[in-house]
Amino acid sequence: MKIHNHFTIRTFLVAAALCASGLFVLTACEKEAIQELPQRNWELTWSDEFDGNAGNLPDSTRWTYDIGTGDNGWGNSELQFYTKRPSNVQLNGEGNLEITARRENFSGMAFTSARLKTKGIFAQKYGRFEARIKTPTGPGIWPAFWMLGANIDSVPWPQCGEIDIMEQRGQESHINHGSVHGPGYSGGNSKTKSYALTNGRFDNQFHLYAVEWGEGYIDYFVDNFLYQRITPADLTGEWVFNQPFFLIMNIAIGGNFVGFPTNNTPFPQTMTVDFVRVYKQQ
Amino acid sequence: MKNQLLARLLFQGFLASSILWGFGCEKRGLEDLEKISFPSKGEVFLDDFTPDLAYAAFGGSNVRAFQVDKLVTYNETQQSMRFDVPDANSPTGSYAGGVFMSKTGRDLSSFNALTFYIKASQPATIASLGFGNDLGINRSVVTLNGQPVNTNWQKVIIPIPDPSKVKGERGLFYYATGPENGRGYTFWIDEVKFEKLGTLGIPRSVILGGRDSTISGVEVGDNITVTGLQTIVSLPTGINQTVDVSPSFYKFTTTDSSIASVNAQGIVSILAPGTATISAEVNNQPVENVLRITSVGSAPGPVIKAPVPTRDAANVISLYSNAYPNVPVDTWNTRWQFSTTDNSFIKVQGDDVIRYKNLNFVGIEFTTQTINATTMDGFHLDIWTPDNTTAPNNFKVLLVDFGPNNVFGGGDDKSHEVTITPPTLKSNEWVSLDLPLSTFTGLTTRGNLAQLVFSGTIPNVFVDNVYFYKQSSVPTNPAPTPTFSAATVISVFSDAYTNIAGTNLNPSWGQATLVTQTPIAGNNTLVYSGLNYQGIELGSNQNLNGLNFLHLDYYSLNSTSLRVFLISPGPVEKSSTLVVPTSAGWNSVDIPLSTFAPVNLNSVFQIKFEGNGTIYLDNILFRL
Repeated sequence: MKIHNHFTIRTFLVAAALCASGLFVLTACEKEAIQELPQRNWELTWSDEFDGNAGNLPDSTRWTYDIGTGDNGWGNSELQFYTKRPSNVQLNGEGNLEITARRENFSGMAFTSARLKTKGIFAQKYGRFEARIKTPTGPGIWPAFWMLGANIDSVPWPQCGEIDIMEQRGQESHINHGSVHGPGYSGGNSKTKSYALTNGRFDNQFHLYAVEWGEGYIDYFVDNFLYQRITPADLTGEWVFNQPFFLIMNIAIGGNFVGFPTNNTPFPQTMTVDFVRVYKQQ
Repeated sequence: MKNQLLARLLFQGFLASSILWGFGCEKRGLEDLEKISFPSKGEVFLDDFTPDLAYAAFGGSNVRAFQVDKLVTYNETQQSMRFDVPDANSPTGSYAGGVFMSKTGRDLSSFNALTFYIKASQPATIASLGFGNDLGINRSVVTLNGQPVNTNWQKVIIPIPDPSKVKGERGLFYYATGPENGRGYTFWIDEVKFEKLGTLGIPRSVILGGRDSTISGVEVGDNITVTGLQTIVSLPTGINQTVDVSPSFYKFTTTDSSIASVNAQGIVSILAPGTATISAEVNNQPVENVLRITSVGSAPGPVIKAPVPTRDAANVISLYSNAYPNVPVDTWNTRWQFSTTDNSFIKVQGDDVIRYKNLNFVGIEFTTQTINATTMDGFHLDIWTPDNTTAPNNFKVLLVDFGPNNVFGGGDDKSHEVTITPPTLKSNEWVSLDLPLSTFTGLTTRGNLAQLVFSGTIPNVFVDNVYFYKQSSVPTNPAPTPTFSAATVISVFSDAYTNIAGTNLNPSWGQATLVTQTPIAGNNTLVYSGLNYQGIELGSNQNLNGLNFLHLDYYSLNSTSLRVFLISPGPVEKSSTLVVPTSAGWNSVDIPLSTFAPVNLNSVFQIKFEGNGTIYLDNILFRL
């Protein structure tokens, strides 16, 4: 099946987007600007449209779960306990997946949430990886759509590599972050770029978050707007993005990236996912 | 007249005491008057008043609390608004508050929030900040309550629940706040404007503070106001801002307008028994939570008024009655913790009645002016209930005396509770209770009676004629006139019938009793003073076969023992005990003649009383 990349008939601005470092703010005018992007034709290789009855878990042939608190809050001092209870992860019966973070005492933690992954089920090298997501908000809320190298069990992080397609801090819901982590550029030293709305915010509606990943490049998109290209030349360490990666979706609460939630952080917070689709380039 | 017990303070909004400032008086031509739309400008106060802006202070506030300030401004702008909150009890006003109004009105429908910067001379909490207060009908008021401020400038965002509802708004900004811990302080506000912010979440409005609510047991005629109208919006920081908003932003609907209708102000009117659900929408978005109402239909209650008291006002201390002047009662419902009781004041045939509903217990207090009932003998009240009064249902009356110290506690309080049970307790009719204070045995003092508590198992009680009374040693009223057919009566002593001829009311049997007769309201009454025993010799032997009862009316406040005997020749005599003293005035008794076996009822020739005290007697007769 061919998916025509209908957003390719645009002109200009790629260079500017790729040069800017730090926070890259687009004004309303710039959003109207037109990008010229390379023509790519995509073939769907894997997807989940999250059809199904409300209250059900998503398709177990596509997704598995991280449960519990991991090691040191999944390496980030995160505050949630991940479960696969319907109150934390379920289909909503309207074609969406809902991951819900709650303030509740559970197994010694003050919050619960869910983290889904395709590890051991699906992984792919190169291609377009996209999800249409309505993100949660609030201080200390950390939604993410991301990938890890499928060899993580034998090649520990960060050597296995990490591609973060969407990360947001709930206290700054107008900013989206796209990053890679690898050897020499992980954690706080990751290669990252932010895409911000000047008079808007991401959690008010669905947005399409994507990367297009090929040999020697990863392009980051929000709503098909290219805001970052990362190439081996941008990195201070080894380029480890030439092996299959698997998908992860979660809401973390607290942790090194986002900071603590406050008493005023509204709960529950839900990340609604319309679909996840993976393509390979023809 | 009954006491006006509930002083309702209706908060009717603030009244302006004066108009302090008015700027921008522009000459306008007639062409301006023809405009039907309002200017859509968002600025309220940036460096100065916008031309259409005027200020008015709230009544009771310090009218000089507001002034324009050049010294402390946000981001080095030219001027800010400065507000000096007065100290508590300041003679110039106890709080700061006022309204900034557009003299023309503004079309704010292109904006989604009022924003401004605020700082204060010290950490404080501003009671109310908002817009929509126009000192008039206040149609579209939005208020942020309890905003914390400190010595740093911070931006405050107050969302507009539905911008399409503010197309001609005059109330552009208002504030009201009092001192912190009794002391005044200063706060500044700058850059006040309406904005269209894309950085806000999508507003969500709720009713009832965001929780579903169910109200059961409401009655036809009840009005219920849908409260807790709030709009919640996610601020750019991801924190929710909650503001209180007017009903005008809401569209209310009911699932059954024949049972419960709802108007534009969110007032629900109960019209019929059944259930209805009240929902709402704001800005075409449905409000998630609802108000469910179950109506039980028409209110139960007495159709006829309680018996009108007949005791002499001089012998009564009345708390609640149309028949007497009433002493002050602080409240007829203290709403103590765990009390579910509601009360209302209704009229039955023009007579004032207290209605208690959902009664588990209810406190009634007269602590401000306690009642000295040391000279009183009894406590009267009339009650009516539609509820089941068969055993084990009961109604309890507790009286509390605060003792010599006249305050609650202190170790000298006395109380006693009397329980009313069937058959005294009856359903669907007025029950007149005359409770002798002597039966409140634990109430050993009653010089400072301060509390009355009703409780029991009947949730609906109507109460009237609550008073303490002093028994007159002489009956104030004659005994009730009997209504038995004369053909079925053999009368010994009654004005209502022909009495047995030749009867000796005071035969000389060696008794100490003094026998007299006295008219009470023209009704001849037999009086025994200093009774030990007293006989009556009938004018002839009476054959009582075919009759069933000895009837007599008696009255005694001081007797502690009283028996009545029938005697037939032999002599054969048998007594029946009469209850004394008579706390409720005249006691009318009908004693079955069979009680007096083995007296020969074919030939009764004497009657005898034994006991003590002063006894009033009337209508001594045998009847069918």
